[in-house]
Amino acid sequence: MPTEPDSRASRGSWATPGVRYAVRRTGSAILTLAFVVLFNFFLFRMLPGDPVKLYTRGRNVDPEQVRKLSAALNKPIGEQFLEYLRNPFAANVDSVKYSQPVWSIIGERVWPTLLLVGLATLIATVVGVWLGIRSAWKRGQRFDRVSTNITLVLYSMPEFWLGMILLIVFSVGVFGLPGLFPTGGLSTPGIDTSSLRGWLDVAWHLFLPVTTLAIVYLAEYSLVMRASLIDEMGQDYLQTARAKGLMDKLVRRRHAVPNAMLPTMTLIFLNLGFVVGGAITIEYVFSLPGLGGLTVDALSGPDVPLLQALFLLFSAAVIVANLIADLLYARLDPRVRT
Amino acid sequence: MNRRTQRLALIGGVLALLGGAVGVGAAHAESPSPTVPAPAILTVGITQDIDSANPFTGIVASAYEIYQMQYPTLTQYSAEDFSIVPGLADSWQESADRTSWTYKIHPGAKWSDGQPMTAKDAAYTFNRIINGEYEQTNYGNYVANITKAEATDDTTLVLTVKAPTPLMTHLSVYILPEHIWSKVSEAQVKSYKNEPVDGQPVVGGGPFVMAERRVGQFMRMVANPNYYGGPTPLGEVVFRVFQNQDAMGQALKKGEIDFADGLESNVQKSLAGVPGITTVDATYSGFNEIAFNTGAQTVDGKPIGDGNPVLKDVTFRQALSYAIDRQALVDKVYGGQATVGTTIIPSMFPGYHLDPATQYSYDPAKAAALLEAAGYRAGADGMRTAPDGTAIELRLIGRTNNANSNQVVQFVKGWLEAVGIATTVSLKSEDALTEIIGQGTFDMFEWGWVVEPDPDYQVSTFICDQRSYEDGGSVLAGLSDSFYCNPEYDRLYVAQGTETDLAKRAVIVKQMQQMLYDDAPYMVTAYYNNLEAYRSDRFTGFVAQPSPSGSLLFQYGVWSYLNAKPVSSAGEGVAPGESSASSTPGWAIPLGVVVLLAVVAGLAGWARRRRGGDGPADDRE
Repeated sequence: MPTEPDSRASRGSWATPGVRYAVRRTGSAILTLAFVVLFNFFLFRMLPGDPVKLYTRGRNVDPEQVRKLSAALNKPIGEQFLEYLRNPFAANVDSVKYSQPVWSIIGERVWPTLLLVGLATLIATVVGVWLGIRSAWKRGQRFDRVSTNITLVLYSMPEFWLGMILLIVFSVGVFGLPGLFPTGGLSTPGIDTSSLRGWLDVAWHLFLPVTTLAIVYLAEYSLVMRASLIDEMGQDYLQTARAKGLMDKLVRRRHAVPNAMLPTMTLIFLNLGFVVGGAITIEYVFSLPGLGGLTVDALSGPDVPLLQALFLLFSAAVIVANLIADLLYARLDPRVRT
Repeated sequence: MNRRTQRLALIGGVLALLGGAVGVGAAHAESPSPTVPAPAILTVGITQDIDSANPFTGIVASAYEIYQMQYPTLTQYSAEDFSIVPGLADSWQESADRTSWTYKIHPGAKWSDGQPMTAKDAAYTFNRIINGEYEQTNYGNYVANITKAEATDDTTLVLTVKAPTPLMTHLSVYILPEHIWSKVSEAQVKSYKNEPVDGQPVVGGGPFVMAERRVGQFMRMVANPNYYGGPTPLGEVVFRVFQNQDAMGQALKKGEIDFADGLESNVQKSLAGVPGITTVDATYSGFNEIAFNTGAQTVDGKPIGDGNPVLKDVTFRQALSYAIDRQALVDKVYGGQATVGTTIIPSMFPGYHLDPATQYSYDPAKAAALLEAAGYRAGADGMRTAPDGTAIELRLIGRTNNANSNQVVQFVKGWLEAVGIATTVSLKSEDALTEIIGQGTFDMFEWGWVVEPDPDYQVSTFICDQRSYEDGGSVLAGLSDSFYCNPEYDRLYVAQGTETDLAKRAVIVKQMQQMLYDDAPYMVTAYYNNLEAYRSDRFTGFVAQPSPSGSLLFQYGVWSYLNAKPVSSAGEGVAPGESSASSTPGWAIPLGVVVLLAVVAGLAGWARRRRGGDGPADDRE
């Protein structure tokens, strides 16, 4: 009788393959983050531009003041690097453009982005997965054909174009129909956002942008889910389950879908990492004050401290989301842990 | 209950709720009927949010619009022609020995919180800038010549100067309330937000003060009840930020905003025929030019960069000035929404603008003749060479983010090659171009300036001292982007900087413009218009600056905000800002509730199906 090649006895009871995998993955995530921190410093300093010009272009600044500004903003690069390394997430670094600490500027603008992309991802996940399952299970039938064609069209649509169309149709109104939604912004002046009326006001403003993003994401999830479920449906163990007399619905729900979910789930988590990066084109079309617009603004100048902080935030979000996806995947699929 | 019955029950429930909701919504929509007329609210769409509400920090143009609404200045530029008229100061006088200026402050003035607004606040503001560090960035040049500010009594302000200077009649320094700003220390001033706190508007002395700000979205300015200039017809001005022009144009059509400024040509044209909307092609204080590298050197005389030496020759530059067709640029690139440019002070400032007696017309034959005569002979291929035989190839740089710039450089290339000057065009971002200019590594580029009513800044960009300078081993840029250096011009610059007689000063400034026109370090191409549009069916009474065809908003002054009023007289009919298009419609609340309930019901139904009814026991594996 072959002995189980279980390393548990030899290494100590806590160092299971699962734990070792988790540790390895976390370690590699930390290394990636460290690399990003380093790379971040040099990346934006390669952009052309003189931050002093931000203050002086087209304005009447005393030459003496220009020299002082230059001295403050253009410190020798070695000195800047050491200052940065001491604390890459330093809270007291000021944005060149706004003269406020960079993290407070980011904090002000992160919520619209999170709301927009978070809600859209949630809706897209629920609807997209359901659509994909239904299409795959009834493959070839009318529902599948209609749904697949529609999602293909939606998936290939550029999101900003879709956004503009929705804006024109539902916000401005066509063919005499009135526009029901606002042309932009996150809230109406004069309404307190912490009241119920304020919440509904924000929801009203977010309706079109969230719908746009959700449509584009759900198309992607639906197609991927459908493909992976179709793949799964050909497996022998499902044939066995059916032969045993299990209801079709249960074969699907208990056996096929959980196994087919894995690629979709990875995709969802990867996309979640990009939540903070924002849907910049949507923010542009609907004039939402999120991080996407902030990044584009910061690129002209360039406003290096702000760009550094934004880049760190985006990279960290993706790295962490990636890590969570890896760990979750390992938990759900033991084959991955070796 | 089987599934079909469940579904019917769900649909029936939703319909019932919907019916109820519509009823509630209808009742809600009927209700608002204020007996007090709502304040007139002017909503203005802008494409760039302010960077800071703190007048010492803000850089962008929209920020200065807020500052001039919120704080008074000693004097103002009139709406008709930029002549100097009283602001917070009723009158002003240079002392006989020319060492000081005395301003009589309007008596009885108050800040928006009721505190008295006196000469002491003005003195405080000026002294803060004179003695401050950070405050110098935005206002240092106005006080460069002032040694101290003193309030000899509540209505008299005395500014002592080092030397006579014409700037004293129009200092664009915003007078701040001492009782607020004395609490903001030097260390805090950079990050001080100056935004409303706890629902209290910012304390200011101008016609409007900031009552609410949401970053990236909007700013609400409410009328200052204590404004020294008296009450204004407008009760509130709201600035809404749009990130793209098309949405702003649609918002104007829909009535969500009443005024749109700084429109792009195609967006403004799409608004042209719409009933109720008036478009404005306003003369503007900006110009575009093609600049030459006239011989890049640092202020110490050290040559830098790699500009083509032929551009050092005045005759060469003058010849090129005859080779381009400015009218064609106005027609084809600016769509007719510009006028042909001549000198660096735009025609919008009639007091200082020079209209040269002989102008560079589009005359390629003359250009070619001048070049031939000066020794730039055309070879067999038609392209010219320098007198020493080297082939001429000029690099022309346009700006990537500016559609007009892209087109202009293509046209110019065509015209130059038609007279035998080989030209290569490239596009760079404005940041990259700024660096290139500072290092002198260019031949020609296309850019523009926005000129202030006081010409000092603009003419200073051509003095020898504004060329690049060396500091700690690197070359840093000054204001000069043509590296023009003419001792005679510098002498005139000093003269206009100390001439307090405005008429005599204008003569000197015109001489300087003539010198620049003749020496051609720039080819000024066009004075472009500022495109605006507004709902003339809702608001009227906007004041153009200058008369009659200048901008209605974003002027050097607040004339429109003081005079604009709703078309329907106060108290009658719809108060423009209250249209339902701009606030949550009545149906939104009940619909939101219905949707929420439907989702909950759906989830409950789904959960029930999951738990029970799974089939016979032997299905469970």
